[in-house]
Amino acid sequence: MTKEKKKDSKFTRRFSAIVRYELLWNIRKKKFLGIIIVAFALATIALVVPVILSNVRNNPIAQNPDQAVTTGVGIGGLGFFLFAVVIAMNSISGEFESGTIVPLLTKPVSRTMIFLGKTLASFIILLTTYTILLCYLSIGSIVIYGPQNNLHLLPLALVGSIISTFIWIAMILAISTLSKSSMMAALGAFGIWLGLTIGTGIVSVFTEQAWVLDYLPGNGASGYIGSFNLGSTVSTGTNSIASNLVTYILNPSANVTYFKIGGFPGPVITPLYTEPLLLVLVRSIIVAAVYIMLFMFISWFAFKRAEVLE
Amino acid sequence: MFSLEFAIEAIDLTKRYGSLTAVDKLNLGVKANTIHGFLGPNGAGKTTTIKILVGLLKPNEGTVKIFGQETKGDRPDIRLKIGYMPELPKFPKHLTGYELLDIYGEMYGLTKTARKEQIPKLLEMVGLKERGQDRIGKYSKGMQQRIGIAQALINEPELVILDEPSLGLDPVGMVEVRELLKEIAKIGATVFLSSHLLNEVQQVCSEVTIINRGISLASGTLEEISAKFAKLETLEVEISQYSDTVVKKLKALPFVSQISVDDKKITIQTETKEDIRPLVSKAITDSGGVIVSMNQKEQSLEDVFIKLVTESEGVKKK
Repeated sequence: MTKEKKKDSKFTRRFSAIVRYELLWNIRKKKFLGIIIVAFALATIALVVPVILSNVRNNPIAQNPDQAVTTGVGIGGLGFFLFAVVIAMNSISGEFESGTIVPLLTKPVSRTMIFLGKTLASFIILLTTYTILLCYLSIGSIVIYGPQNNLHLLPLALVGSIISTFIWIAMILAISTLSKSSMMAALGAFGIWLGLTIGTGIVSVFTEQAWVLDYLPGNGASGYIGSFNLGSTVSTGTNSIASNLVTYILNPSANVTYFKIGGFPGPVITPLYTEPLLLVLVRSIIVAAVYIMLFMFISWFAFKRAEVLE
Repeated sequence: MFSLEFAIEAIDLTKRYGSLTAVDKLNLGVKANTIHGFLGPNGAGKTTTIKILVGLLKPNEGTVKIFGQETKGDRPDIRLKIGYMPELPKFPKHLTGYELLDIYGEMYGLTKTARKEQIPKLLEMVGLKERGQDRIGKYSKGMQQRIGIAQALINEPELVILDEPSLGLDPVGMVEVRELLKEIAKIGATVFLSSHLLNEVQQVCSEVTIINRGISLASGTLEEISAKFAKLETLEVEISQYSDTVVKKLKALPFVSQISVDDKKITIQTETKEDIRPLVSKAITDSGGVIVSMNQKEQSLEDVFIKLVTESEGVKKK
């Protein structure tokens, strides 16, 4: 066999090598197992908490045909962040920390291809995890709560959840590439997540500056659909794309009313303004896309320029 | 200035880390199809230079060409021709030796058939045939060096760059690496071997560049370097009894550049290539001394290396 026949310059061959490298990295390092355990733990909590509460109150478990959809879109907040941390925290910085970046970067694959391969591998892991999670939730809901409605909307919930998680993945990748430290990436992103979660809640509910939150990643401003009660409140930020997507499909004419809590001695709910759910949804998807692209660009740029000193 | 005769050419290569200049206007020419030694003490700038050559570091100044192509920017097309083994290589511990070679081979664009054919040969060549299915995390330091050499050869490279390949190997392993290098050179590849082991370089390299503190001190064939720098020859004379008169007489000889006395043993260094023994012998006997033994030594590459490195340290300190 001649040298020419042995080698080719196929982009797909080199790219698939990078994806395989990254997938094996994740699976063999038990990260994948860890993330599946986290997913199942969250899903199980969502399924069994109502059962436990029913038992405590001595009420029979009510049939709930919307259980699968409501829990399927409800991973949110901490769940998205945890998945992102597990997937992204050492994808690039881990290579620098362990020294494996040296042989990797000296192979005839461009840094852009390595970056894209690693991103695709993260996507595959997230997609697999969420798919398993939603299947588990659906089956669990049918077993515990009876026949389920709107199961066809779960793929939409899957897409929404992936978009929401990818903001955090992109952010963690950016911090890890800039700092070349997995610990810094996890702690830095946790600080941002915590700051946004606490800050968003305060700003959203206690001030009139809710519009600021429309352009930040996370839970966003709080509002309600229809009349104000705990069951109808919605978050409008990038963490809620999945639930807002499903709500919009089920109720296309829904409007979101933003509110402020104030007054003394008791809380007074003051409606601020109202806008269509469609607008909320489109805006959160655009904001998510912008953040994903921005963080990915920072990460790619830093990776492209990174020097290997050690 | 650049020519395809050279596998590697570096002109005025400079790399600074803050105030520290690791590589200082280094000029390097590695002829194609040779084994070129890159010799220098620890911290001389060898690894920094190599990292620039393979694209892991960007130089502050200067140019690098591999087979006539400038390496500026991210150049996977150039890396396609290179097999590189880093100093104390680190590979993903969760992969087996076979998987590592398979994935790296795929990155070089090798077809599945080619990889299946190539990998067992390489594992056998580096003595890891029986351990190919074990995870790298279970490999000893020496085995990691061996898999490092195998992965540097997976693409049948035109240029093999090895950074301290014998580090961590036992004496048998070191001999095997040397034989391997000679085999690689036989099939027409250029080998650029960085080492601090004079013996290793002397045994396998046809050309050498000596570097210290980021500066190229000498470059050429071993013979050229010896001829150029091994100017000093040493004559060791043992006399029956120490005598000031003998030492004074010897010091007065025009060709003596340095003289040291240790009781009855006199060491004379000279820059002339001529045989000085008759003249020294005459000077000693004329001044009443009795010669017990006389031994003339020519400088080895080791002496040249030590001399060049010591001098460069002195120059830098000034």
